[in-house]
Amino acid sequence: MKRQLGRIAIILLATVLAYFIGRFDSFLYQNPVGQVVSIHQTTEQATTDEFDNQDAQKTQDLTIKLLNRSNQTIKIQNQVMESQTMTTNYRVGDQILLKKQGGDYQIDTIKRDSTLLALTVMLLTSVRVYVKRKKTNFLMLSLLANAVLFVLALFVDVHVKNLPVVPWFILIAVVLSALSLGLVLGRTKQARITLYATIVTTALAVSVMWLALKLTGGLGVHFETMSFVTQVPAPIFYAQAIIGVLGAVMDEAADIVAGLFGLHRESQHRPFEDYWRAGLSVGREILGTLTNVLFMIFIAETIPMVILMLRNGNNWSYILDQVMNLGILQTVVSAIGIVWAVPVTSVMTAWLLQHRDEEEAVK
Amino acid sequence: MNAIGLLIILLLLSLLVVAGKQGLKTFLGLILNFALIFVLIILVNWGFNPYLVTAVISLLILSVAIYLSAGRARVMAIAWQTSVVVIILVGLLACFTQYFAQVQGYTLENSDELEGLSLNIGLNFSHLVIIVMIISALGAVAEASMAITADLFEVIERSPNITVESLSDHAQTIGGQILGTAINTLFFGMLGANIPLLIWYLRLHYTLAEFINAKLLVMEVATMLLGMIGILLSIWFSTFLVERGYQREGRKLLHESDV
Repeated sequence: MKRQLGRIAIILLATVLAYFIGRFDSFLYQNPVGQVVSIHQTTEQATTDEFDNQDAQKTQDLTIKLLNRSNQTIKIQNQVMESQTMTTNYRVGDQILLKKQGGDYQIDTIKRDSTLLALTVMLLTSVRVYVKRKKTNFLMLSLLANAVLFVLALFVDVHVKNLPVVPWFILIAVVLSALSLGLVLGRTKQARITLYATIVTTALAVSVMWLALKLTGGLGVHFETMSFVTQVPAPIFYAQAIIGVLGAVMDEAADIVAGLFGLHRESQHRPFEDYWRAGLSVGREILGTLTNVLFMIFIAETIPMVILMLRNGNNWSYILDQVMNLGILQTVVSAIGIVWAVPVTSVMTAWLLQHRDEEEAVK
Repeated sequence: MNAIGLLIILLLLSLLVVAGKQGLKTFLGLILNFALIFVLIILVNWGFNPYLVTAVISLLILSVAIYLSAGRARVMAIAWQTSVVVIILVGLLACFTQYFAQVQGYTLENSDELEGLSLNIGLNFSHLVIIVMIISALGAVAEASMAITADLFEVIERSPNITVESLSDHAQTIGGQILGTAINTLFFGMLGANIPLLIWYLRLHYTLAEFINAKLLVMEVATMLLGMIGILLSIWFSTFLVERGYQREGRKLLHESDV
């Protein structure tokens, strides 16, 4: 118990330290960064919109000390709504990124890097404390490599004209999964069969979505409701579906393959049936909770928008169509992938292990 | 026929074929959780205290996610206890995160979607941030705690004379593996969900400074990090509970499970 408390203390200390380091990094910024030193709140005014939503507006006179510009202080006025949909309620001590426009300073956004750094450090130190050293390095390396690769892939997508978006992301998906499996499991047969099962299942799940869209003529699916659209939305949605399904299926396939290889190590020369049944039973245990993981991620994101739409007098069927549509589609496709991964992985692994047994028998 | 409806029917059929009765329970679980999210949204919209509503609904969602999956009763009980404790901690961290980073609401990037909407709706969006962060973590936390607890019970069952120390060693190895795959799931899920936003930032040539401080992106990344911390805490706490249970009850831990 004492050891546990010591560990927790280390983690908290590292987190707090990271936060404060983040607060002192404004010298790295090219644009001006300021800190709110005092606030004078002037007026508060009740507002009512056309749907009878009661809100309040207030005006803050902020005195901001520039941190990376000779400690000069400036004054900026900020309007803030109680609901803070677009506006931010500043407090003394907040650090703010500023923009200079026509001689006047304007607020760009709150400086959030210190919070992000603190959370990252918290995760890293906790993982460090919990898992043995070498393994952590590989896990973190794989995350970092994946993130970098992914941003590069997006960069290519943005800068290459007439890029075939879906094939490009399929390629990226294969590379990403090979990379993370290789780094977490090593260059083993186990990693290879997990990779194949992941690719086959993801391909099947996304193809069935494509087929369903073709059969129904895309009825009830509104790609045009996608947020932040800067290019044709449908291919981007396919890319999203591929990447989203991939992670969950990889998790599941790795579990099933590991279970079957364990069985093989315990006693060899089992019939195909044994492996197949064992694979299905491992898979059945995990598919329920796994479908919930992605479901929660995809649906949680839509909550603020749904509430905003409700308060704007929209009815549920319109909201389901406009806000939750793509989230639901993505959940369903991922769930199909997660379910299909069970038989696909079981068959592939059972086949491989049985053949291996036969080869060994011949020798 | 509606494409989503078709896929939902296909999902139900696949679940029935692959997992039989368990598949039906999984499907039911998804429907129930979807309904619970609806209830959450409606209650918050009606002006109930968002934190109270989220606490109650989160408990229910966790119960559905855990008790409608397959496994021993004792495994589920431990997974449930773990998830509740972990979600409380994640919720606290979410409050801290929102307090310092203020990632509520929208930015100019959302102008298209927000066109014609009244934004002054009288409901504080900073509460909604915490709801999103907690709900996003629920699935991952339930999954991780179920996985590690079930695996540890399996280890105890397979090796009759296992000592607590040896169990603890096993827990380290298995925990490391589960952590790796679960973190990957969350990571890819989040990447997949945010492709349009990332492309947007790249297209508009955001500077690094704007990128790492951007409200929408920090919101997403922080949610993902909280989920990962949640996964780690689940593994940690489940292991602790299983080890303590084994120390106190020995192999009786397994017998109680035939309920």
